[in-house]
Amino acid sequence: MEHHKFEYTIEGAPDYAFVEVKLPQNETLKVEASSMATMDTNLEMKTKMKGGLSRFLSGESIFINEFTARNGSGRIGIAPSMPGDIKHLHLDGGQVVYLQNSAYLASGVNVVVETKFQGLMKGFFSGEGLFLIKCSGTGDLFFNSYGAIIELDVNDGYIVDTGNIVGFTEGLEYDITKVGGYKSLFLSGEGLVAKFRGSGKIWIQTKKVSPLIYWANPFRPQKGS
Amino acid sequence: MNIEFEYRPGSTAVKITLDAQESITAEGGAMIAMSPNMDIQTTTQKNKGGGGGLLSGVKRMFAQESFFFNHFTAKDHSGTIYLGTSLPGDMINLELTGKKIFVQGGSYVASSADVHMETRWQGAKNLLSGESLFWIELSGHGNAIINAFGVIYPIDIDGEYIIDTGHIVAYEEGLNFTLSKAGSSWMSSILGGEGIVCLFKGKGRIWCQSHSSTTFGQQITPHLKAIKK
Repeated sequence: MEHHKFEYTIEGAPDYAFVEVKLPQNETLKVEASSMATMDTNLEMKTKMKGGLSRFLSGESIFINEFTARNGSGRIGIAPSMPGDIKHLHLDGGQVVYLQNSAYLASGVNVVVETKFQGLMKGFFSGEGLFLIKCSGTGDLFFNSYGAIIELDVNDGYIVDTGNIVGFTEGLEYDITKVGGYKSLFLSGEGLVAKFRGSGKIWIQTKKVSPLIYWANPFRPQKGS
Repeated sequence: MNIEFEYRPGSTAVKITLDAQESITAEGGAMIAMSPNMDIQTTTQKNKGGGGGLLSGVKRMFAQESFFFNHFTAKDHSGTIYLGTSLPGDMINLELTGKKIFVQGGSYVASSADVHMETRWQGAKNLLSGESLFWIELSGHGNAIINAFGVIYPIDIDGEYIIDTGHIVAYEEGLNFTLSKAGSSWMSSILGGEGIVCLFKGKGRIWCQSHSSTTFGQQITPHLKAIKK
């Protein structure tokens, strides 16, 4: 099937990235539910349930909206829920990318978006949910992060804090493990990490959500008794 | 050791490249990612095998830092490590050349092996100032990486200067501060919303942060879910 590379501009990166995509007539873009910020009036929106129950379990909203340009081209502005970065990839049919379950933002219709069960041990202990989002096929893919995205070219493995993983390419395998000895596991503050083997690309984010929540906790009001 | 900052000031990470057998000490929890040839040792005290033990660990807990330090060493060949901040903000490297630097509790990220670190009780005046009860005193020669909420900017002081509480990240030896009022009277200082400020005296450099995390936290309090008593 023929497909087009969409024209796009990413602005505000890496702190407040948002992306505007220009859709040619009758072309469709799949967008994570509630991420559409602005659009031309000739864009038609359809809500589709993708991936069914497993997508629901992955912690992503179960709905992906499809936007199609009618009667000419149209623009759509997409803003992720978290302040951070956006990365664009064009999948050529041979590549497979795995995303952490909240990193998916938008893709062309010929990109296949599936949820992949990581297994109980890997998923549960990583703290990032039980599922990864597997993206394959052909077309544009946009994903987002909290904080800036750093792209790592990995040849002989790398270790990443589970809270800092955005995504990685097929060809890399990982285990959830501890850093250092057992003392480090409980005392180091580093928790568990993903130990990647093999070669490929890993995208990491410079910030984690959990320290922000930890910081905000003392500022919670007290409910008077 | 090569230190490279990325995405300053809003989403800062630091990439540190270590030669074989070279070490860096980092605050617990600061590691984002690293090459697989890193050895990790976790201790309560900055200096490997040094004293201090539990008491200095407790002191550091009060200093709003993690209780423990991690010492990362590149084993057989050179290695890389990325460190991040816990709150959105800036990081800078301070090169220590013998002069002591006092870092606000919570702003310490990492330091090279030859930098000595001690926590210092700053007395009751810090309780009033809204700053941490403890400061981290860095001495020796080497690199120290500090972070902040917002952007870090230096001010060179020769004489006197007023810094609002909550905006001090670090200051050099040669400076000292006392608590003071921003306005001409206590009444105008408090009504003006400035409250208590720090009056610095002496000669040296001070590093400030553009925003106060405490002020921001107080702003969002009404929007946070209440804790049931």
